[in-house]
Amino acid sequence: MRQLRALIFRIRGLFHSRRSEAEFAAEVESHIALHTEDGVRSGLSKEEARRQALIRLGGAEQARQAHRERRTLPWLESLLRDLSYGLRTLAKHRGATAIAILSIGLGIGANATIFSMVSRFILRPPPVGDPSTLLSLKTTHDGDVCCNDFPLPVYKDVHDQTKSFSGIAAYDELIAASIGGSGDPERVWGQAVTANFFEVLQLPMVVGRGFASNEEDAAEIVLGAGLWQRRFNSDPTIAGKTVMLSGRLFTIIGVAPASFHSVDQILNTEFWVPLGNAPQLAPNLGDANSREMHWLAVVARLKPGVTRPQAAAELKTLAVRLAQTYSDTDKGSGFVVVQAGLLSPKDSGTMNLFLAALGIVVLLVLSIAGANVANLLFAQAAGRQRDMAVRLALGATRGRLQRQMLMESLLLGVGGGALGILLSLWSTRALSALHLPAPIPLNLTISVDWRVLLYSFVLSVICGLLFGVAPAWAASRPQLANALKGEDALARPGLRISLRNLLVIAQIAMSVVLLCITGLFLRSLESASGIDIGFRSQNLLIMSVDPRLHSYTPERTAAFLNQLRQRAAALPGVASAAITDFAPLSMGGRSDGFSVVGGPDTADAPTADLYMASPGLLETMGIPRIAGTDFSNETATEPKVAIVNQTFVERILHGKNPIGVVVSGGGVTYRIIGVAGNIKSRTLGEETRPVLYRSMVQNVGSDPSFLGYTVVVHTAGNPAAVEEAVRRQIHELDPSMAIFNEQTMEEHVHTAYFLPRLAASLFGTFGFIGLVLASVGLYGVMSYSVSRRTREIGIRMALGAQPGSVERLVLRQGLVLTLIAISLGWPAAWMLAKLASSFLYGIQPHDALTFSLVPPFLAVIALAACYIPARRAASVNPLQALRTE
Amino acid sequence: MGDKTDVWQGTLSLMVLRTLDSMGPQHGYGLARRIEQTSGDLLQLNYGTLYPALLKLEQEGFIRSSWGTSENNRKAKFYELTKAGHRQLKRAAAEWEQTTAILARFLTPAEEA
Repeated sequence: MRQLRALIFRIRGLFHSRRSEAEFAAEVESHIALHTEDGVRSGLSKEEARRQALIRLGGAEQARQAHRERRTLPWLESLLRDLSYGLRTLAKHRGATAIAILSIGLGIGANATIFSMVSRFILRPPPVGDPSTLLSLKTTHDGDVCCNDFPLPVYKDVHDQTKSFSGIAAYDELIAASIGGSGDPERVWGQAVTANFFEVLQLPMVVGRGFASNEEDAAEIVLGAGLWQRRFNSDPTIAGKTVMLSGRLFTIIGVAPASFHSVDQILNTEFWVPLGNAPQLAPNLGDANSREMHWLAVVARLKPGVTRPQAAAELKTLAVRLAQTYSDTDKGSGFVVVQAGLLSPKDSGTMNLFLAALGIVVLLVLSIAGANVANLLFAQAAGRQRDMAVRLALGATRGRLQRQMLMESLLLGVGGGALGILLSLWSTRALSALHLPAPIPLNLTISVDWRVLLYSFVLSVICGLLFGVAPAWAASRPQLANALKGEDALARPGLRISLRNLLVIAQIAMSVVLLCITGLFLRSLESASGIDIGFRSQNLLIMSVDPRLHSYTPERTAAFLNQLRQRAAALPGVASAAITDFAPLSMGGRSDGFSVVGGPDTADAPTADLYMASPGLLETMGIPRIAGTDFSNETATEPKVAIVNQTFVERILHGKNPIGVVVSGGGVTYRIIGVAGNIKSRTLGEETRPVLYRSMVQNVGSDPSFLGYTVVVHTAGNPAAVEEAVRRQIHELDPSMAIFNEQTMEEHVHTAYFLPRLAASLFGTFGFIGLVLASVGLYGVMSYSVSRRTREIGIRMALGAQPGSVERLVLRQGLVLTLIAISLGWPAAWMLAKLASSFLYGIQPHDALTFSLVPPFLAVIALAACYIPARRAASVNPLQALRTE
Repeated sequence: MGDKTDVWQGTLSLMVLRTLDSMGPQHGYGLARRIEQTSGDLLQLNYGTLYPALLKLEQEGFIRSSWGTSENNRKAKFYELTKAGHRQLKRAAAEWEQTTAILARFLTPAEEA
């Protein structure tokens, strides 16, 4: 305790040093005076008495020094002195400091942005109790790596027959419902969960409680915090009140914490109901009790003391047992165990690759930035060599000087880091504003969390030290004799290629890599924008409803949609209107494996995407009808008819005349009545997929859409102008109908460019930053070299060299550096390009245009960066240059 | 004296505390002289080392200081014991007595044992 008190006093002592110094000087003075008086009294002369007093004190200055060392903390004091000296030096070279901090700031900002994605998608545990013991179980088939959901009976078997877990819960990951509360009814997404769900997650409610074990079928609902806030005004007494959910009355029993959206942290679900409600809320579920219907996600809590391999081993023996008991259905099935809340093995591969590619790129940017800083520090060291030499000559140690230089670069690093964090705050917000065109609710927001802060801080400290160490080492070793004479003291005799040249070569080489990758992604965006999507994006308005969520029967749904189509088509300014289930380019959708009825039995049926269509859909969307007829007035009881696209004809019918052919998929048969043009069905980059349009009226009852129904309106003018009119038509038909996904087709297609645009803008930004930083670096090195060679250039000119030849001399030097760098960077880029290949649209990773354009482009930029120093060299006045030394 | 500061600091602190206890508030010079006198002039203090020792005691909260006037009308800084200082004096004195008693057993001729 006493030591701590003393330490605090000593730290305080650092800040009142001047006053304490004066006070102690007074005390010493009074001591000497008292002692002198004593001496005089005992008969000495005044001078002699004072001399004796000083001797006994051991010297006034020495006493002051001893006192000072006790008063403060000497090591901390010298550190603070380095700090303030560093700050002063940096403030003096304001321009250089700004460039250095800006460079590192851009580099750290880029890294922090990418790391915030890593933190969000790879590192962040789910917001549940003790995430490390929560596992996610999946089923596999025939030794596949990954993986599928659970059938309900299999979940029950695992639940009843394993001992490794203290709890196992299952849930249907996504069900839609329309919910009451304040305002118009809203369509929201939630999950149907087993009653032990929140217990297994160890997730305490904010308000109320979770489900009790006897409430598997209860009409009860737990709200997400967002929904509670949005529709129920954060009512703290909400537990026990009721709400309409898709036409049924549910009792609200609790509110989940705001941090919780779903175990996987990607789906943004907002309510939870007991699993017994699933068949009613999701009528297209099929046979929920079948051993072949994979529809449940499963999470399990490890018992204390049981390890994950032990649990996996137990599941393995269970799988063998189940395969024997249910040999029809469970043969070849297995289980995999993964950490809950992380991306499934299926998705994590792509994500890791994407983040690894970005990670390499941002580290390149940071290295280029750091090389700039090292170069600046070298230049400063050169400017201070005399100062350093004098201090060395006066007895300062090299270590002391190095420490001081390192403090400066550390300050630059930390300053840059702070700027970088500010930049990443902005960039993560901008990235979070982008959204995927998926019709299901995803939460992909990224933010700067503590992991990002820590990473950025460590990175900026490393950066400061790493790029400061070489300049500090060089600066503390001037050739004394040269320095004191005022000559260049850092140049080592016999060293042809300086460290600074190496740095600039590395910088340019790295920007070659960066530019090649950037070029690839820009080309990819260009090629993506040239992709023919196969339907019109102009003058189309889309708007979705889901009558099923309002307890409509299939007949009523079909009637509603028909009326809506006719009313919308009759609006002024509307050319035509049609109904489908959801718009293409929504990243996924319904698909089934198809084969020709009566045709040869093929082992794996090619899958085709399914879209529902009312009469006129193809015409409204501008998809050409190539053969056959359109839907007209089919009825639900007639045999089902379908229109297929050309790829369907090629891939599944092997090119034979499709009209009248009967195909079967997903246990349903369709007679083909027409052929339509191809469209991009799921994503822009896809290879064209087989598509089958089925009659809306014939399928609303037997296989309703999970995602609701979309009215597509083709307008003569701006589609946004009729939006309000269409809304009004819907509400005239049913005032309580929830409307969602209202946008123009142009907006929808625009979001489909999400991936190529995201990649191009990220890589484009980073490539541009890298290029600018590298050219600043080259410029800096060349100007420095010219300023160092002023005298040499002066002599050359005095001996008759022309300004033009001097200019060429400098340019040639810069060009040689650039060429060396390009010859190093180009092969590296060639090798790295393969990494990017899976993210490119319609171009090869070794795109000839990119790889042939980057080197000359970079050479031109390099020449431009060298031009100003070259001009300066050429304008050297020989007389002045020779006189300065 | 310089190379045995640790031991010396400890004993010097004790001497300072004891002297302040018996004499009341005292300035640095007076304190030094008093310690020398008490030691029967066997100790010759380097006065320069006294002040860091005083500062340490003050930082630890055993003594406090204030400016005052000496008996012959000079401004001087006076030191006095705090409550914690009194307690520390008792504790340190007891420890010291024990140490010397133990050492004394080693150093006296063996006949008593």
